[in-house]
Amino acid sequence: MGLEWYITRRVAWAVIVTFIIVTLTWALLTAAPNPQVSQAATQAALQGGDPAEARERARELRGLDAPLHERYIDYVTGVYTLEWGWSESRNQPVTEALLESLYYTAQYSVPWTILTILLGPLVGIYSAANQYSWKDHVATGFAFFGYAIPNFFFGIILLLVFGVYLDVVPIVYNTDVAVFSLENAIQLVLPVFVLVTGSIGGTMRVSRNESAEYINADFVKTATAKGVSPLRIYARHILRPTMVPLSTTIVAQLLYLFVGSSLLVEVVFGIPGLGQTTFQAVIAQDTSLVLGSTLFFTFIATVGNLLQDVVYTVLDPRISFDER
Amino acid sequence: MATDKSNPNFDQVDWDDIASNSGRELSTNAIGTLISTGVLVAILLYDYFIVPANSATFEAVGWGYDVIPLDYMFAFTLILFGFYAVLPLYQNPRMTRYYWKEFRKNRPAVVSLIWLIAIFLLGVLGPLFISPTESELFRKYQPPIWMTIDQNYVIECVGTLAGGACAGTWQHPLGTTQGGKDILTMIIYGMQISMKVGFISTLIAVVIGTAFGTVSAYAGGMVDEVLMRYVDIQQSIPTLILYLLIIYIFGGGLWLLILLLGIFSWEGMARYVRSKALSVTEEEYMKATKISGASSYRIIRHHVIPNSASSIITDITLLIPAFLLAEAQLSFLGLGDSSVPSWGQLISAGRSDLSFAPWIVLAPGLVLFLTILAFNFLGDALLDALNPEAETESE
Amino acid sequence: MPHDIDRRGDEAHQMKRRRWLQALGVAGAAGLAGCSGGGDQETTAETTEDDPMGGSETTEGDGELPSVSGTYNSLASATYETLNPIYNDTYGAGVAIEYTLDPNYSFRPGTEQLPLTMELSSDDNEVWVASLRENMEFSDPYGEVTAETFTYQIQEVQQTEWANTPDSTNWYRNDEPLNVEQTGTYEFQIELPSPDPLYLETYDPSLYPIPIDLMKPYVDEEDAKGFQEDEDLLELTFTGNLGAFSLDEWNRGSGITFSRNDDYYLQEADDLPEAFSNAPYFEGIEISVVGEEASRLAALETGEADTAAVPPNRVSEFQDLESTYVSVQPQSYNEVCTYNMRDNGWSAGPGNLFREKKFRQGLASAINKERLVKGVYRGYADVEYTWQPPWSKWFPGEDELMTFGTGDLYGPKETRSRIESAIENVEYDYSYDGDRLVTPEGDQVSLSLYHVAGQNTEKNFAQYIAQELDKNAGINVELNAIDATKFANDYWQQQVPDNPDQYEWSNGRNNAGPREVTSKNAWDMSVVYGLNAYPLNPLTADVFFLKDSVYNPYGYYPSWNAKELFQEAKNAESEEALKEALAEIFVKISEDQPMGMLAFPSDTIGYNSSLQGPIENYFSGWDFPTWHFEE
Repeated sequence: MGLEWYITRRVAWAVIVTFIIVTLTWALLTAAPNPQVSQAATQAALQGGDPAEARERARELRGLDAPLHERYIDYVTGVYTLEWGWSESRNQPVTEALLESLYYTAQYSVPWTILTILLGPLVGIYSAANQYSWKDHVATGFAFFGYAIPNFFFGIILLLVFGVYLDVVPIVYNTDVAVFSLENAIQLVLPVFVLVTGSIGGTMRVSRNESAEYINADFVKTATAKGVSPLRIYARHILRPTMVPLSTTIVAQLLYLFVGSSLLVEVVFGIPGLGQTTFQAVIAQDTSLVLGSTLFFTFIATVGNLLQDVVYTVLDPRISFDER
Repeated sequence: MATDKSNPNFDQVDWDDIASNSGRELSTNAIGTLISTGVLVAILLYDYFIVPANSATFEAVGWGYDVIPLDYMFAFTLILFGFYAVLPLYQNPRMTRYYWKEFRKNRPAVVSLIWLIAIFLLGVLGPLFISPTESELFRKYQPPIWMTIDQNYVIECVGTLAGGACAGTWQHPLGTTQGGKDILTMIIYGMQISMKVGFISTLIAVVIGTAFGTVSAYAGGMVDEVLMRYVDIQQSIPTLILYLLIIYIFGGGLWLLILLLGIFSWEGMARYVRSKALSVTEEEYMKATKISGASSYRIIRHHVIPNSASSIITDITLLIPAFLLAEAQLSFLGLGDSSVPSWGQLISAGRSDLSFAPWIVLAPGLVLFLTILAFNFLGDALLDALNPEAETESE
Repeated sequence: MPHDIDRRGDEAHQMKRRRWLQALGVAGAAGLAGCSGGGDQETTAETTEDDPMGGSETTEGDGELPSVSGTYNSLASATYETLNPIYNDTYGAGVAIEYTLDPNYSFRPGTEQLPLTMELSSDDNEVWVASLRENMEFSDPYGEVTAETFTYQIQEVQQTEWANTPDSTNWYRNDEPLNVEQTGTYEFQIELPSPDPLYLETYDPSLYPIPIDLMKPYVDEEDAKGFQEDEDLLELTFTGNLGAFSLDEWNRGSGITFSRNDDYYLQEADDLPEAFSNAPYFEGIEISVVGEEASRLAALETGEADTAAVPPNRVSEFQDLESTYVSVQPQSYNEVCTYNMRDNGWSAGPGNLFREKKFRQGLASAINKERLVKGVYRGYADVEYTWQPPWSKWFPGEDELMTFGTGDLYGPKETRSRIESAIENVEYDYSYDGDRLVTPEGDQVSLSLYHVAGQNTEKNFAQYIAQELDKNAGINVELNAIDATKFANDYWQQQVPDNPDQYEWSNGRNNAGPREVTSKNAWDMSVVYGLNAYPLNPLTADVFFLKDSVYNPYGYYPSWNAKELFQEAKNAESEEALKEALAEIFVKISEDQPMGMLAFPSDTIGYNSSLQGPIENYFSGWDFPTWHFEE
């Protein structure tokens, strides 16, 4: 009983959550009209055929004629056997579609996440240490700017300035370049910059506000009085308690941006990543692919929440997991 | 300055005041809310049962403004906001002065407040008196007053045409869109949309989020488990996909959007409030209170909520701009309500003209940016003002 | 990206390439958003402004062939669903497929047949003989292309139930499969039940060569799903020398790359212009998917792309740029405002004034078409008076037509006098109260108008109609933006009744019966769809104007003898007679105003200045393999 047991329980729970959400999405999609079926019918009607028959054929072809519970059971079995089906809108297996997209998403997400986690708290604590000085205002101003400017708006303007007017970055995202090449770095600079400015604001702000509470706390003063080095004070006495609420913010921020803004940034910069794939799948009502990406994002979110909880528990000794 | 008892504290003022009245009699705030809501309901009933379907609500008094359902919800939100946020400030002049003193220290916040009040007033009152702008195809792409545009793009130049360039006029201070609509008017109409999205969704989120968070933290045990598990589930839902799906299937009306935003955004607040409240309940004095046999309701009302108030307020200042952003993002993806003149719709419609008519995107974009920025500065200043320990120097 | 929910763009265009009957396009997609593929396909001869379908004396050049150089970069607005030639039914993917795999024939300016893999000819317009070229090879191990390649596909795939191919119905007449017979190694024939001089123009016989050995396993198993998902078909690995290029990689999310096919079979063709002898002249083609219109145009401007569709508002900008030019290519999708004449139309009050010819004429007189063309399309459109673009050879001439919406036939007076005389015909007491048309109850007439969400040009177009109707007809119009699929399902198509036999006719969801059969939701007017006035074969237009045809979502009952006139035209023996018969039809249509026929927007496509090949003609792109960069 302890951390392991707690984590085991949380993981089990994560699996259940994923299952519930996927079921919900499945239900939502099943309730939606299938455009491919009606398209088939339209076409048949236009061509003088029997639309009802065409509809039936299209349904059969898509396995939509089976009873609901059968389709559901089929689907769920598929999920756990990694047979996520065939993407109708891309004509490839769903897993392949997701992996292909993930490859592009990872290329900008990794640098972005690292930069956010490193820079956010640092700037925040720095700001708190220099509260109300001009340094604080500049840092705060920058953070706020990044947070407040809508990512997609910032993105299209940067692309206009650097892509069209100055012509230093390409407008069409090139998937042929190697991952670790200068060209790839150049085409990813803007998206990463836009995302980092977007995510750093919230993180920085929370860490500033939270650490401000601790900077004047008794234990910090005691430590200072004892002659503990300032670096150590910041690392142990301020950063650590700050991390408690901050972990919530960072995970939430990253998740929010990952599933939210990353889509818009992908759209603006034409990166064929997960966000775009999902969006296109929704528009095309490509059921298998929408479910696949929902599953994927749910998985990410669940793991994120799990991490958040664990970090929270580990960092704040006052909350014990045994009691929960 | 004394720090312990006498140190004024927003939370005590606000909540104790209400709490002290919560026994038998209703507080002024509650009475005000009830009366205003009553009036609102009366208008609503009048609108539905007496005014003919195709006529404007106030046609009887010669005013052409037709109240739409969303307006009622908005008005209700404003009533709550007025009686539970603005009125208490007036009721406690001493506290108000103190906050104002604290708040004033933060210049950007003061400017932000002025900006937000301006947006608020213009947004609420503007559309009542300024008639909506009409599309005039032949007046497309008029530039703002201080700019010019190549005459290739315009069909008719409202201002002066000199050297192959069309200059802006006061007739369209911020220029016109691709459809020849006046951008300034659209932005003013957009303010109201933004206020509606921001306020109503926030109200929904705050009500649900606080209830979940505080109850969960205080009750503990099974209740906590169940509530928080639910929060978990909801938090793990990839909301954007959900929005996309729902809006794509059901169409993106503003109502639906507001509901979705409100209903799927309180998890963070619930968790945050809960964690704050948890920390509070861990404190010694809370344990003492519990042991001394105070009722759950009393503890939540007097200790948990007040102590979480600063978290709630911080979160609100994050939520409102997040909602405004979300609306703009969905509009950008073409899934917003394209029949309402929101800033997001304007940005979305103008982005293909960005390279030669940048004002169509920049004007609403900057207003959106500044508004979000203002909310952030405001939230920051509020936090500082409400959380005096953060800066009390001496003990 | 919003709009770039246009897979629609493709739909709007598919018709040029494929069957006329897929005549439904989402309005606006054509001009503005239909940039998918950016017109890489269309082509032509010299600018023939007066005759956009006409042929031109091909400038044979000085005998010097261009050199092979560069990569042709084109842009698509949306990703491709499939590249399987058998199952693709979108225009955009069709363009990509045809880089690697020629269809059997196409048209060149002057509506002349352009034989590709085969030449189709007939003495009596009834038995059509296909003579194949003899140098066509699939990639290993599939061997040579022979007549059997095609007859097998027609008989074992197209003329079967299980395969469910989009082109299946092309191979039936009156529900009977066409008789197709191999008559030699490189020759087969198609027998029609009755003569059809415009058989080629229907694109019915259009086919891609597919190896028999590749199809056989699926044919034996009747496995449609496997057939659709076959990797060789999807990745076009079998195309041999059958296309100007071969596919290198299809990245589902970002685009396709092709490289030059050194031994393209048409190099040896002696019935084609000299330029084909070393075609193609690009080292490769790259199609990149770029969802944002602004980005596509920026890429064209900076030279990252060689072609992109240019929206009307920016045509002059790109014409003025040194690095680009804009080719204005007429096309046949029109912008129409349809009126719901079924029972759930006309939500304004009792009755349905849309059913009155005079009323529809009144509405047509209320909208200034010239201003519309100028204001919305910046002049890159033709005014539409009847079901044929003015540049079509079947167009009867303006003098014969009722030119509503221009000149004397435009204005409030013209509008109101017609609407008032329409009102006299109905039992309900509509009237003008000052400037407003009011219902018997005294409320202003208010109608809904649906348009596709997220497209600027469409929105402007709808707004313009609303304003004109308000100004000139005194009708209040409420605009509703809607998703095209949703509109099709819940508004446009009717709910098929449980007892279709009870009705005089019931022909599927687009005409599920007489006017009392209605869609799920009520609507009054729509500009969601543009329809194809198909100038290659206008006989097909009957589908839009007969009350019991398969396509009559708006519930139109002609007040003229449509059925007879179309029959007459179909029986016409000579082109002269056909022209006369069609002219009569078009005159009737312009008078009866089945729908508000407003404009034919042109495609305005921007190209890199050094690109040689595109022409301002309906058939631009016919000689794509000869396109090249000028040094």
